[in-house]
Amino acid sequence: METSMNKYGDQPRDIFFVSNSVNEMGGITSWSHQMARLFSERGHRVHVIGIVPPPEGRVHELADDIPYRTTTLYAEHPPTVRPVRGLKDKLNVVEQRRRAAREAEMHEQAAKMTALFRAARPGGVVIVTQVWAMEWVALADTAGLTVIGMSHESFATCRKSSRFERVKRFYKDVDRMLPLTREDADLWIRQRMDNVGFMPNPLPFFPEVPSDRSARCVVSIGRLHEEKGVDLLLEAWAQVAPQHPDWTLRIYGSGEEEEALRKLAAELGVAASVAWMGRTSDVPGALRESAVFALSSRGEGFPLAPMEAMATGVPCVAFDVAPGVREIITDGEDGFLAPPGNIAEFARHLDTLISDKELRDAMGTAARENIQRFSAEEIVARWEGLFALVER
Amino acid sequence: MPDVSVVVIVYNDADRLPTAVQSVLDQTLRDVEVVIVDDCSTDRSFEVAQRLAATHPERVRAFQLPENSGAGGEPRNAGIQHTTGKYVMFLDSDDVLELNACRNMLEAAEETGSDIVSGLCVRLHKDTRNQKRDEWYAWLYSTTRTLESVTELPDLFVWDTLSTNKCYRREFLVENDLRFPKGMFYEDLMFIADAYLAARRITLIPNQVYFWHVHERGAVKSVTNRRHEMTNYEHRLEIHRRIDALLAARGLDDIRLAKDVKFLKHDLVLHLRDLPFRDESYRQEFAELSREYLAGISPEAYARVQPIQAICAYLLQQGDWDNLIPAVDTLTNRDKLSSPLAERDGRIYWCGGHFDDEFGRGVLDVTDAGYHEKPVDKLFLRNQLTRFEESGAASGGALRLAGRITNPLGVISPGARLTGRLEFSARRRSLQSFAFPVRALRHDGDTVHWEAAVDLGAKLRPLGIVDTIWDVRLVLDVDGVSTTTRLTVADTALSGGPLPVRPRLTRMVADHLEPHVSARGHLAFRLVSESRQAERVQQLIARGVRGKPGTLAKTGYRKAKALRKKVTSGDSKLRVYHEVFSRLPVRKRTVVFESHLGKQYSDSPRAIYEEMRRQGLDFEAIWSYSGSPKDFPKEATLVKRWSLPYLKALAQAEFWVDNQSYPLKLSKRPETTYVQTWHGSALKKMGFDQPSLKAQTRQQQAEQQQSLDRFDRFLIRSEHDVRTLAKAFRLPEKTLLRVGYPRNDALVRTRQREAELGRRERGELAAELGIPDEKTVLLYAPTFRKAGGRHGRFVLPFDVERFAEQFGDRYVLLVRSHYLNHVVLPPTVEGTVIDVSARHDVTPILALADGLITDYSSVMFDYALLDRPLVFFTYDYDEYVHEGRGTYFDLLEHAPGPVVRSEDDFYETLKSFDTQALEYAAARREFVAEFGEYDRGDAAKSIVDQFFAHWRR
Repeated sequence: METSMNKYGDQPRDIFFVSNSVNEMGGITSWSHQMARLFSERGHRVHVIGIVPPPEGRVHELADDIPYRTTTLYAEHPPTVRPVRGLKDKLNVVEQRRRAAREAEMHEQAAKMTALFRAARPGGVVIVTQVWAMEWVALADTAGLTVIGMSHESFATCRKSSRFERVKRFYKDVDRMLPLTREDADLWIRQRMDNVGFMPNPLPFFPEVPSDRSARCVVSIGRLHEEKGVDLLLEAWAQVAPQHPDWTLRIYGSGEEEEALRKLAAELGVAASVAWMGRTSDVPGALRESAVFALSSRGEGFPLAPMEAMATGVPCVAFDVAPGVREIITDGEDGFLAPPGNIAEFARHLDTLISDKELRDAMGTAARENIQRFSAEEIVARWEGLFALVER
Repeated sequence: MPDVSVVVIVYNDADRLPTAVQSVLDQTLRDVEVVIVDDCSTDRSFEVAQRLAATHPERVRAFQLPENSGAGGEPRNAGIQHTTGKYVMFLDSDDVLELNACRNMLEAAEETGSDIVSGLCVRLHKDTRNQKRDEWYAWLYSTTRTLESVTELPDLFVWDTLSTNKCYRREFLVENDLRFPKGMFYEDLMFIADAYLAARRITLIPNQVYFWHVHERGAVKSVTNRRHEMTNYEHRLEIHRRIDALLAARGLDDIRLAKDVKFLKHDLVLHLRDLPFRDESYRQEFAELSREYLAGISPEAYARVQPIQAICAYLLQQGDWDNLIPAVDTLTNRDKLSSPLAERDGRIYWCGGHFDDEFGRGVLDVTDAGYHEKPVDKLFLRNQLTRFEESGAASGGALRLAGRITNPLGVISPGARLTGRLEFSARRRSLQSFAFPVRALRHDGDTVHWEAAVDLGAKLRPLGIVDTIWDVRLVLDVDGVSTTTRLTVADTALSGGPLPVRPRLTRMVADHLEPHVSARGHLAFRLVSESRQAERVQQLIARGVRGKPGTLAKTGYRKAKALRKKVTSGDSKLRVYHEVFSRLPVRKRTVVFESHLGKQYSDSPRAIYEEMRRQGLDFEAIWSYSGSPKDFPKEATLVKRWSLPYLKALAQAEFWVDNQSYPLKLSKRPETTYVQTWHGSALKKMGFDQPSLKAQTRQQQAEQQQSLDRFDRFLIRSEHDVRTLAKAFRLPEKTLLRVGYPRNDALVRTRQREAELGRRERGELAAELGIPDEKTVLLYAPTFRKAGGRHGRFVLPFDVERFAEQFGDRYVLLVRSHYLNHVVLPPTVEGTVIDVSARHDVTPILALADGLITDYSSVMFDYALLDRPLVFFTYDYDEYVHEGRGTYFDLLEHAPGPVVRSEDDFYETLKSFDTQALEYAAARREFVAEFGEYDRGDAAKSIVDQFFAHWRR
């Protein structure tokens, strides 16, 4: 593997992904392992580093055959401390000692990373996927390496969280800071960060056979968590279902909200037309048997589910909650967007796609075509172009 | 080949050149070369350039022009010749590039293939503390965008005329032979116009790329600082003419129009502002040059600039100096009214004298500015200084001053009782001020003339150290209402030298006041010294202030200021409310009333309050107000919203009675009962039924819910309210009071009385508004709209003058805009169209109106109780209903009156107002049954019975 040059003649590089955890359930883990695999296939030497082990119950089992190294720095999660505020905190000796111990430990763990980084050959790249992990990378010695910091959420979502100030602080001097879309990048730039580019997520898969969109079925896939807005979807469905009694809403996924959502469906009188499918390991199969995809999230970054649906030829209806969503779906061309929280509009769009098979087919076909601009090849080429730019 | 070549030009700037060059060498993009071109400096600039080249032989080269060219164009032209990079940028020796500039520009250029990439230029004021930032036309650079031609964005062409914040493909410059014109100021303008027009693609990026260092107090003033020079203006016009020719040749009319707009808004304004300080010959020459150019400006451009800009350009063009010079005062001081104005045929004009010119009438018509509606204390009047004299050498610092205050449309009536005083106050942190009486005040044509003798030497005692600049204001009192003016100097010479004064602290620093004219043209004084010794002391002080002790003192002062701000902040008040006031005992028999966030004494809280008074209950009433307490009841305790007494009253009250919301963050203690009367049934989606709230996370919704959970009782007018408001606010059934709205009791009673008498009675309001008995009264009450008109105010969707003309003989139209919107009516419609927006309570207005015109306002539900005709003028229905937050029911289906969309249909409907009263009678009954079933005329009484009956004496 060491010697294989990739087909574009780009030199093989040492690429480090640094995340909070190597194997915590969720989008970042899927994304980083997908990218790690893609880079490995291109001949790069990849190393996925996690700062801490994932919290209990949130472990994502990794495949046995991964062609790259993984390392987790801490054996267990370090104690959390709050920032020092006021005289009272300064005089709290116990707390101060805890803080000092934590800091010393951070330096120790960062030194481990330094050792890994030193072994890299010139042209190496460190990709920090979450700003929390950057706090350790900042302590490590990255001399001679390109450091890239990422923000895998929309600017608006980040702005509402404590990560906002940390992104501005820790990513200020990285070689490139990458949010998910041009629109997010422009917003970061206007926070006076002039080292910002952007990088979309790659399409996770592209099925050979698309859906024929004839199954009378609207599908939704995602964790049953309030952020995914399944309650909004049910309300919208209650406005659509009476006109289309032969259609079903299939909801894939599980989570803490399931009971409450089932109750809501019953209250809205749509219990009969909603099917609770539970978690699925066969997303492509679920999509192939659907005609319309519904994304009802209250917040998103660059969501994979609608990309997968579009790759399967299934047009989407979504709330326009993030630049990533409008980047993926072109309203009125390969899907529909509704203003955030506007259930009447969301329902109207669902109704349009359900009622009009011809439009559904046209949009589904366009979706499958359009989504290929985020194909794995395209995105890998973008990354390699970025590595080259930073070296010029 | 390097990726980017940066041409750095220098003229006599040896000290700063290395910093500029270093900003290129430090670029994150490594492959960048520097080409220094020295415009034959007389200092060490070229030497420094050569040394830089020797230190970085691979990356820096230095060249010198054989003779000085006098401007930046030629050196840049020479620089382009020497560049070898794929892209070219320009940098001046006193500025710097942002460190990522080259990388960001290169990335954009390669991605798009653009000929020009342009980024944000930031002006840094180097002489100010914290280097004040000033972003150059930032609105052009809010997002990344690529233009296939500059015609897509004419504003880029006309506003961003810098050559330096851009990256050019070198081949593009060469192929199009793009060069800066020789030996002219404003060389950028021509070059960039050529470049924009030649470019096949242009990309704008929001990144900062160029830091333009501004040194206001620099000894050598740059071109833009010397703009008062006539040659400068000539050059500017010449460049404009050349660019106009370019545009004409290509038929680019849109850009030309945008450019004309910019000329009126910007170029002309820069020079006009200096006019009051220039002599007669300068003015004549300036006018002559301008007139020729202005003749070519399209009339349409006048309509697209601010009225005062158009007025100045027009008066200049007409050579009307008497009106132009005062108008320039308004150009400089936007809020000031500097002209006496003229009224003609019910319209208001900036000045008379041009009525025979139709175009001039259009430009000078300032009716929409609403000057004619403002009382004297809301006007900032021009006050021109006409006399400034020392009253003789012996007097030692005494002045005689005189001037005239503009009296527009006779707002200061001839019989008014006038007094005045001159106030001298230190500009910086006004520690003390000194007042002198105005001796004489009299009307003189369309001005008020004044005279004063001011003994500065004897009376004005500055501290001597921090109060260097002194401003002067004349406060004029007109029948007890005062208005403040500033003294405009214009043509009056400030004769005599500095006046002796006696500072309180020390005379070592300064002991004289010297008159001068401020940047805005007003009289001011500067504390100066006559002796050489004082100059040294001043230097010493300056050093002290900038030194360590000074810095410490200043930091201390700023910290103290920050602390004070923190203590008086909302957060601290909230803490006092929760931690102090809420622990005090509840005061029995106290009620805090509030209506519409304290803006009004009105609505159901008022109706309940008045019923309580009528029944003679024994209680303490506390009314909250914001703004002025003027129209609130005298017998109640009045507290200003958000003040400490307000918070204390709320914390200790036994009852809260309100129709909208007390501050969201105030929690209500359990002992207090909150009666939420609400202020109207719902057509638009409310509360958690609004999309914006639905989209919120559970935590955000929970925060909202907390403020709604404070309601102990919520008034209901009909089951429609239960299905909409109560559900949207997630109110439990036990809070709902199905009693109707107290504010509507009066309407129900009016209707009953009308039925008993068999005729309509008009109350006091009709007489107060001067409405003749034979006229029918219509009320126009639209809902709140965010969109503002030209002056950021609400624009009526129909022409009131047309209304007055067509219906003035039959109708009187009352206009009540939402309390957050404001309308201006022209004098032509006086007596026919009346603005009643400022009145607190809408109920008497509803009772007076014989018909209502509305759109989506909840006033429809209340007015329907009167069983009088309604018209729905829903000119923006689709936008309002579909793009907005949505409605609970279809207005078109339920409206108890005709629904019209266009202005013509609106007038048509008004003609048949009488027949509608009959036609829609059934629909109105249905509407009232559906939306107002509990409004029976006894709401206030039943609330008092339920909550306050035990307070009867």
